[in-house]
Amino acid sequence: MISCGIDIGSRTIKIALYDGSAVVDSMVTMSGSAPQQIAEECYQQLLNRNDLCSNGIAFTTATGYGRNYFSLADKASSEIICHSAGVAFLCPDAKTIIDIGGQDSKVMQLLDGGKVGDFAMNDRCAAGTGKFIEMVAQTLNIPVASTGALALSSNASCDISSMCAVFAESEVIGLLHKGIPAEVILRGIFDSVAKRVVSLGRKVGFRGPVVFTGGVAQNPGVVAAIQQQLIEHNIVTPNQPQLTGAIGAAIIGYRTAVARNSASASIGACQ
Amino acid sequence: MTDIATQPEQSEKALFDYFKGSISDEIGYMREQKAAGRGIVGFYCEFTPRDLILAAGAMPICLCGTNKNTISHAETLLPANLCPMIKASFGYAVTGGCPLLNDSDLLVAETTCDGKKKMYEVLSRDHKMHVLELTQKPQQEVAFKHWLAEVEELKQTLEQTFDTTITEQKLRDAIKAMNAERRQILAIQQLGKHKPAIVSGLEIAQTRYRVAGFERHHKQMESFLSMAQRRLDEGYQAAPTNAPRILLTGCPTGQGTEKLIEIIEECGGLVVVQEACSGIKGVYEMVSEQGDPLEAIARKHFNIPCSCMTPNSKRETLLATLASEYQADAVIDLVWQACHTYNVESVLIHDFVRDELGLQYMKVETDYSDSDREQLKVRVQTLLELLQ
Repeated sequence: MISCGIDIGSRTIKIALYDGSAVVDSMVTMSGSAPQQIAEECYQQLLNRNDLCSNGIAFTTATGYGRNYFSLADKASSEIICHSAGVAFLCPDAKTIIDIGGQDSKVMQLLDGGKVGDFAMNDRCAAGTGKFIEMVAQTLNIPVASTGALALSSNASCDISSMCAVFAESEVIGLLHKGIPAEVILRGIFDSVAKRVVSLGRKVGFRGPVVFTGGVAQNPGVVAAIQQQLIEHNIVTPNQPQLTGAIGAAIIGYRTAVARNSASASIGACQ
Repeated sequence: MTDIATQPEQSEKALFDYFKGSISDEIGYMREQKAAGRGIVGFYCEFTPRDLILAAGAMPICLCGTNKNTISHAETLLPANLCPMIKASFGYAVTGGCPLLNDSDLLVAETTCDGKKKMYEVLSRDHKMHVLELTQKPQQEVAFKHWLAEVEELKQTLEQTFDTTITEQKLRDAIKAMNAERRQILAIQQLGKHKPAIVSGLEIAQTRYRVAGFERHHKQMESFLSMAQRRLDEGYQAAPTNAPRILLTGCPTGQGTEKLIEIIEECGGLVVVQEACSGIKGVYEMVSEQGDPLEAIARKHFNIPCSCMTPNSKRETLLATLASEYQADAVIDLVWQACHTYNVESVLIHDFVRDELGLQYMKVETDYSDSDREQLKVRVQTLLELLQ
């Protein structure tokens, strides 16, 4: 029996197939301007390359911002629940999750068994999210993927005091005019992102091990900055941190399908 | 065939349409009464005793403060970092868009927070205003004595403004009328106790109104109660039996600001009761019909567990009672941005709900705009999934 999890985020779409013990296949693509259409295309592509048809999928769970609009889903589940299920599978000892996505940052506390005990999420402010880092990279004219290594090449940091994405950009421009090197500014930006998320997480409390997920967890500069803020815990990052939500969604769907005993009904040959 | 089958539904629709459009009825009624020489008293807060205004022969009207469109107008004079309720209320005065405010002979305000207090001073440049000074220590009898003196002073203002004498009998009659009205509103609120639900939280929220002592509205509320009884008899369910039951606490909602109730119910939850001035807070306790009537009026209003009180332990007592009576599964605390008292008090409410009631708690800080709907949905849906 195979279940599918699809995480339709603000910047990227992630899909994972799960067979009850392992992730069979997965895919990541940009959300673009027609996320629902792209999500359906990806879903179909993933099925095709695994010789599956839609009735060969026992259960499809959608999560992320587009979760309530994906017509092929059997169920929509919140990304907080899905990320937690994904982390519990990938890092069974995890007690706290930091998840920074395209426009949200969240900290979740895991109970034994992977259930969410408590969580905190940023409100409408974009500072400290993936979008914020993208914006700064654009201002500095540096590819986002290079920002982490560049920041780590600097021993110095600078203070970014603004709590607002727009004003932080003005601050970055001001620093550039003062002649501060881009790598120092990036360290300052990552330090400010780390301070924000750690302060958000203090509301629910950090217990180790702490797992960092979401697209921003791919940035070694942010990982190092959070580690520096949270010296009491070792920050762990899964191999593909972006996929955690999709994997969790697939796992939740698998469990639902088992609970409904729908396995026999859902296995059918492609017509 | 279809006509008979859909008839009850049509009458429900007519009922809800009435509540949706009740403002125009209220304006019409107010104008009619004003033309007949009756005084109009506008007010903003549950601490204002409608009973006293009725006893003066005047019409008590709770003024509008829930329109997001008036906020930008208010911000031309007031600072932007005030709560949306103050700005929306003041925005009506700036735009002149509220006939209920425009036609008021007297405004009664109160000192629930610094923002409102100072806003009323600005408002008083163009409107006759009486400010009730709230005392803030509900456990102190001396505080009650001062509050009673404030209520007595309002009585004098009403007598002077409308050239009348508020007799003890008039007070007793007004208390009886207001208690009947409060009982009717309370009965509607108590429909949320049914499990499985026969009415949704949003449906209950639609029954709110502005004008006290409005006979037509009483009839419509009676129809609402009959409709609920009919639904009960027919086995109608407003939500699945296992829908998580939410006790909504904190700042009041109003027509146009039901965003959070909508989100909770769109995500599959059910708002069973609001521990807020827009819900049960103002009608949970009646005015005693024994003893000195003015003192009884003052006492009932003094007992409102608003976050402007310190300590506000009565709110915790009320939350505990409501959580049990309405079989709540979780508490969601609504804080309008920049409402400092509710915002800070949430620390205490969080601990009380988690530790004493053993329920899930979530705080939502927002304003009247729709910009954070999607983010709120993530949070609310997570909470609801955790409950299932």
